Amino acid sequence: MSKNTIVELASSKNPLVLDCGKSIGPIKTAYTTYGKLNDSKSNAILICHALTGDQYVASEHPITKKDGWWSLLIGPGKSIDTDKYFIICPNVIGGCMGSTGPNEKNPKTGREYGLDFPVITIADMVKAQKLLIDSLGIKKLFSVIGGSMGGMLVLEWLSKFPSLVFSAIPIATTTSHSAQNIALNELARQAIMADPEWKSGNYNEHNTKPTKGLSVARMAAHISYLSEQSLHEKFGRNLQDKTKIEFSFDADFQVESYLRHQGFKFVDRFDANSYLYITRAMDYFDLKTDNNGSLLEAFKDTKAHILCASFTSDWLYPTSENKVITKTFNALGLNVSFVEIDTDNGHDSFLLNEPEFFHTVEGFLDATYKKL
Amino acid sequence: MSLFNTDKDFNVISNMIPSGANIIDVGCGDGSLLDYLAKKKNINGRGLEIDQDKIRECLAKGIAVMQGDADIDLIDYPNKSFDYSILTYTLQATKKPKEVLEELVRISDKAIVSFPNFGYWKIRLNLLLNGTMPVSDDLSYSWYETPNLHFCTIFDFINLCEESNIKIEKKCNLKNHSIQKYAKKNWFDNFLLESGMFLISKK
Repeated sequence: MSKNTIVELASSKNPLVLDCGKSIGPIKTAYTTYGKLNDSKSNAILICHALTGDQYVASEHPITKKDGWWSLLIGPGKSIDTDKYFIICPNVIGGCMGSTGPNEKNPKTGREYGLDFPVITIADMVKAQKLLIDSLGIKKLFSVIGGSMGGMLVLEWLSKFPSLVFSAIPIATTTSHSAQNIALNELARQAIMADPEWKSGNYNEHNTKPTKGLSVARMAAHISYLSEQSLHEKFGRNLQDKTKIEFSFDADFQVESYLRHQGFKFVDRFDANSYLYITRAMDYFDLKTDNNGSLLEAFKDTKAHILCASFTSDWLYPTSENKVITKTFNALGLNVSFVEIDTDNGHDSFLLNEPEFFHTVEGFLDATYKKL
Repeated sequence: MSLFNTDKDFNVISNMIPSGANIIDVGCGDGSLLDYLAKKKNINGRGLEIDQDKIRECLAKGIAVMQGDADIDLIDYPNKSFDYSILTYTLQATKKPKEVLEELVRISDKAIVSFPNFGYWKIRLNLLLNGTMPVSDDLSYSWYETPNLHFCTIFDFINLCEESNIKIEKKCNLKNHSIQKYAKKNWFDNFLLESGMFLISKK
């Protein structure tokens, strides 16, 4: 069983230099670990969470009291076996579960950062994760695994710290956001900022919260995580606790009620400013542009064993986007595998019970571990 | 298909391949051949396979495999990505066999291709006597449900190679497992061999 640990990394003298040019230090990183690091420190797996994920990957979430977001995949005897591997899952910087982010105090002013928090990037998050890995004395990660934004972090690890990564599993992800991805994030951000309770980002000082804006942001995002097919199968045009439409704007349809519920419960565990910062980081992520317009350049030094996975019904990070990644690895002659899991569960599939996906990951990790 | 899975057949392929070669097996199935070649010839293997279950088996064997389709996905590989490409009993199931062959000799120096030979005397006899499409243990599908779209004879294959500027370097006899330098069309091969296997390259 894991406990949440908060560690201070970097320092005011030796700060983390961010892509935007600003520096922060010291920074805090909250993380959980599972299993035991072996004597040669060769069994460490870094798990990278998605936009609204956190470090509670395989243990109960302190706010929702629900199982960890990947507890179906990670645990003793499970596909990512904590009896065998040492799992590390940090909350990204910019997040809101204990790592340095906009809702933490700015040491310079003593006030909460709010929008004074520097705009961070995926690369900044990875630089902070690297400091954590260094602090744990790990010279090489056996694997780096993540889906969605977590997949971006995996790709960034492969690009920036190739010698530190023995294997990697980027799942349902992309090397840069499409216009559609950015548009959806902008919709979410505008929903938050349009909430009068947002107070230009200083809502905590006003003892309030932009819960309506954040929950609309979550509702919009949640639609993008599902497929048309799964929405249809789950809800169709079914009515919520009623037999006929009521000519009102209450939640007549089940799908409305479901989305409202999703938005409503989200605001308890997530911070609105974090949502702005992290979605911005995702939008700015662009491995191609950052590497002289060449993805080959971005990954030229990696030797990692890589498994890429996508899901047939994922329209947020569709198979075509994931294939851009595998194509690049192929062109570099890397030891890369690719699997497209057949499912109706949309982008969310990577978080759901998809035995085919779990077995694929398990087989890859087991076989790759023997190559260490 | 059961036409091709014996150690002897694997051994013929192995004998055509130098140690440590970079190889792609197109339609690699559960990765048995790549696994065999890795153990015997220390090759650096890659697979391309369409079936999810088989991909899982490949991964569990430690074989790098891409889920994909020979008709569509070979285009993603740069020229000369591999020393050898292997296409065993898959050509007849592709939509565009000509393009697939051309892709194989583009992405690799040499390609090893095997296929069921419809010039085989038993198949000829079957059609002659029964007047129906041949169904045997090895070609067990009825015509209306077969995944095999493009059957050919050894002669057809040779003709296609000539048309496509593909050089046939070696021919394999899968009956006695011999490998010979290819010289010219041989009527007996076309009549007596159940399947053809050739080592080809770009002219």
